[in-house]
Amino acid sequence: MNDDVGVLVVGGGHAGVEAALAAARMGVQTLLVTGDPEKICTLACNPSIGGSAKGQVVREIDALGGAMATLADACSVHARYLNESKGPAVRALRHLMDKPAYNRAALRMLRSQSHLEIVCGLVEALIVEAGEVRGVICDDGARYYSRKVVLATGTFLGGKTYRGDEVRSEGRHGESPAIGLSLALVRAGFPTRRLKTGTPPRVDRATVDTSRMQRQEPSRVPLPFSFDGKHTFAGEQLSCFLTDTNSRTHDLVRENLHRSPLYGLDLIKGIGPRYCPSIEDKVVKFAHNPTHQVFIEPEGWDEPTWYVGGFSTSLPADVQVKMLQTLPGMEDVVMLRAGYAVEYDMVPPTELLETLETRRIAGLYFCGQLNGTSGYEEAAAQGLVAGMNAALGAKGDSPVRLGRDQAYIGVMIDDLVTKGVDEPYRLLTSRAEHRIMLRHDNADLRLTPIGRSAGLVDDRRWEAFEKRREAIRRGIAVASTARLGRVELAGQSFDASATIADALRRPNIVFDDIQALFEPPLASDIGERVAVEIKLAGYVRREEMAISQAARLEQAVIPPSLDFETILALSREAREKLSRQRPRTLGSAGRIPGVTPADVAILTLYVRRGSDGHE
Amino acid sequence: MRTLCERLLGNVPKPRVATHTSILNEDHERIDDALVLFFAAPHSYTGEDLAEFQVHGSPIIVREVLRVALKFGARLARPGEFTQRAFLNAKLDLHAASAVADIIDAESRAAVRAALANLGGSLAQSVRSLRAQLVHLLEELAAAIDYPDEVPEPHRVLFSGRISEALRAMDLLQRDGERGRMIREGLAVAIVGPPNAGKSSLLNALLGEDRAIVSDVAGTTRDTIEERIILDGVALRLIDTAGIRDHSDRIEAMGIERSRRAIEQADIVLLVVDGSQPLAQDGHELLRTTDERTRIVLWNKMDLVPHTHEDFPPENVVYGSAHDSVTLDALRLALARVGWGGQRIDVARPHLSAAHEFSALAQARVAVIEADEVCTSGEPLDLAAPALARAITSLGKITGDEVVEELLDGIFARFCIGK
Repeated sequence: MNDDVGVLVVGGGHAGVEAALAAARMGVQTLLVTGDPEKICTLACNPSIGGSAKGQVVREIDALGGAMATLADACSVHARYLNESKGPAVRALRHLMDKPAYNRAALRMLRSQSHLEIVCGLVEALIVEAGEVRGVICDDGARYYSRKVVLATGTFLGGKTYRGDEVRSEGRHGESPAIGLSLALVRAGFPTRRLKTGTPPRVDRATVDTSRMQRQEPSRVPLPFSFDGKHTFAGEQLSCFLTDTNSRTHDLVRENLHRSPLYGLDLIKGIGPRYCPSIEDKVVKFAHNPTHQVFIEPEGWDEPTWYVGGFSTSLPADVQVKMLQTLPGMEDVVMLRAGYAVEYDMVPPTELLETLETRRIAGLYFCGQLNGTSGYEEAAAQGLVAGMNAALGAKGDSPVRLGRDQAYIGVMIDDLVTKGVDEPYRLLTSRAEHRIMLRHDNADLRLTPIGRSAGLVDDRRWEAFEKRREAIRRGIAVASTARLGRVELAGQSFDASATIADALRRPNIVFDDIQALFEPPLASDIGERVAVEIKLAGYVRREEMAISQAARLEQAVIPPSLDFETILALSREAREKLSRQRPRTLGSAGRIPGVTPADVAILTLYVRRGSDGHE
Repeated sequence: MRTLCERLLGNVPKPRVATHTSILNEDHERIDDALVLFFAAPHSYTGEDLAEFQVHGSPIIVREVLRVALKFGARLARPGEFTQRAFLNAKLDLHAASAVADIIDAESRAAVRAALANLGGSLAQSVRSLRAQLVHLLEELAAAIDYPDEVPEPHRVLFSGRISEALRAMDLLQRDGERGRMIREGLAVAIVGPPNAGKSSLLNALLGEDRAIVSDVAGTTRDTIEERIILDGVALRLIDTAGIRDHSDRIEAMGIERSRRAIEQADIVLLVVDGSQPLAQDGHELLRTTDERTRIVLWNKMDLVPHTHEDFPPENVVYGSAHDSVTLDALRLALARVGWGGQRIDVARPHLSAAHEFSALAQARVAVIEADEVCTSGEPLDLAAPALARAITSLGKITGDEVVEELLDGIFARFCIGK
């Protein structure tokens, strides 16, 4: 196959699959090169998709026309609303997957996608001509040509796994790493750094006594991720369980630290994530905590394994078994697979533009763990953006940039390309300053029009969206004008002139309390959204004001001709970083670490007054 | 600049040496003999080549030199441009530029000391600790949202208590800032009263010892005269107004209108009434209309025939005579007490000074009150987060941790042409 394809995607993980599907759905001929098609979209670590911030991202992927929400809905064994007791602005969905089903569903979706072909291959080198990518070369010598190449290599670049002093060269349990490609990137001039992440042991579910653990029931009602999802369960819903570590667990960790590749052996140089610490880290760094929570989660309907969440470790396998057996309900547990740490190469994402295209080589896009992120959702979202922009580029259209006030995905990409990463990057709600607008309930209102104009949202989904949007608009209009017609509701008193919306603005009134008052009647799913929109309208308005105040910096484009080196008033560090990263706007300049507000103020003078500021 | 010198002077003078030389016009005719100081880059105020011309004090000469210089390609500096260029060439940092503006504007030694105190940046430290408190609150909310299974939501009542604590700290900052503003800008004291109550003699008596700068305001009218004294290091602008009595006379009516305006704009109203006589209707009227204002009442001429006037709280009332130094001292004490709490204001403490700092604090305060309302209204606690975040951003504009666009314009627009 020596013909050019529109977009070529390397890697069949969550990032690569979204990238390939996005490009193909946009009608661009796409080729996905992956080491093992049977391992497409492997959930390599926990069985969970969604969670705080991540759940919003899954919704955003769906709203833009991506695949993850649909796949997750089809394979969910356990669904739960997070933060349900808190406000509607922070609610998030979390589902546990049947892992093999997820692999199969993803492969099915890829195979049924037109304009998309999958080939098996391990990419060893890039073909670059005059600063532009032209294709890739596989280890078997096969060459594939394209002017748009998306790299989504996960933990496979220079991957090494650690269990005690046992070090294996692999990208994932039992799979060979990509060594050649890592070297190819270095040869192309990309700096690389080592990151580390880890996964906990898996245990035989038949050997766990759950009667001694706290049970976590799944939701009684289906909670689909996809805006087009059916309100049905994918299958039987399974429970999760909670247990705790104790002093015996911690003693075992401490006694065996000398056998830890991270501590005693000092083998691991990569930096691990603070927010997802190994049990060794928890015991050492939080020594004052007498216990740590452990989450026991199923990995599928028929899977013999349970995932031991919060127990990630790279201690030797024999120690892991002993540690597990200190947990209440796990005294006789059989460990089916040991936890391990994995170390891999990443390229600092400051090498990228907001479109995820590299600055160094035109037409080359990076996404997922290669950019220093962790998490399936983060990877998938980047894949979607990279695939979409690669396809737009192939068609000669201008790329899509998502703002920090538009999507968690926008927050993540801006963080990555302006700040870079010091540890595996995970999305957190606290990273989003406009969180109140980036809710999981309104992701379609925020992003489906963008997905549609990129050519990623098909007619069927677009029509459904337009119907939904209109129903919400109508619901808000009715609520804002229709009188409540009563002076008491849910134990609260109202004026005679109060509208339904006035009632909804009260903290304790929910849609159920006023559903009967809507004429014409309003479906619950739309009604809930109408209620959230009304409750939060005041907060959103204030947020929008704050955004429009900040917009001046966000929209102030720094002239590409501006030579930062000549601006002596800037600190030396700012001059260096600005020259290297060349931020597009004053707003992103301000987020570069080392560039102070005073530096931005100085730049403001130049941008506003142009050359006139300094003659 | 070098080209300009060559054309105006025939050569570029030796740097940093006062050079006596002729200034020539476009026809090489002599305009004036001047003293010229040339500073070569980067050893100048702006960091660029710079020349200072000291010409003879004739407006005609000055205009002619300017005309020729403009013709040779120079242009007039924008307000603050010299300092702006100094800043852009890294000769001054932002703080220094701001302090330069404050020092130039300072009207008293106290104000200079206040500006210098702020140059140390210790205001940022105290605002930063307030900001850190809010960041901490925000982090607690965020942790509970991001880790719902591990981190409990903050306790509503305790959370609200800590927000109130932050509000109190902001109130303190506001008060200190107001004091600083008072030191910097001085206080306007309107001396009002019926004709012949002794306002002018009081003004002269106060000025006798304390006169600082004397100026007729814009020379427009003799009805309102503004004089300055420094009391405890604070500049007081004493505004002597026309007597307020009759409404029929047109000229008097204009005077009365001016007095009303002076009263409205004053920080302190100093009402002078003749205590040697029963209070006439105009006196009653003034007592009534200024009742709500920060006010001191001087019952003057009490050395003549004392009358008793009991219905006033004694702390804001002085009895005596404008000719008596004991009365004047009592009056000064009263002014100090009413104006700034009576103690000598020490300006060593850092405080808000720039307009953008006051507005940033006010915005932060509004946002924190919003957050407090979320806590007390029973709304989900996480809805307090956006307001807290806005407050943190606003405070960051004071500490320099956020970009303040208006700061630049503000600083550089405050300079008059030139330095």
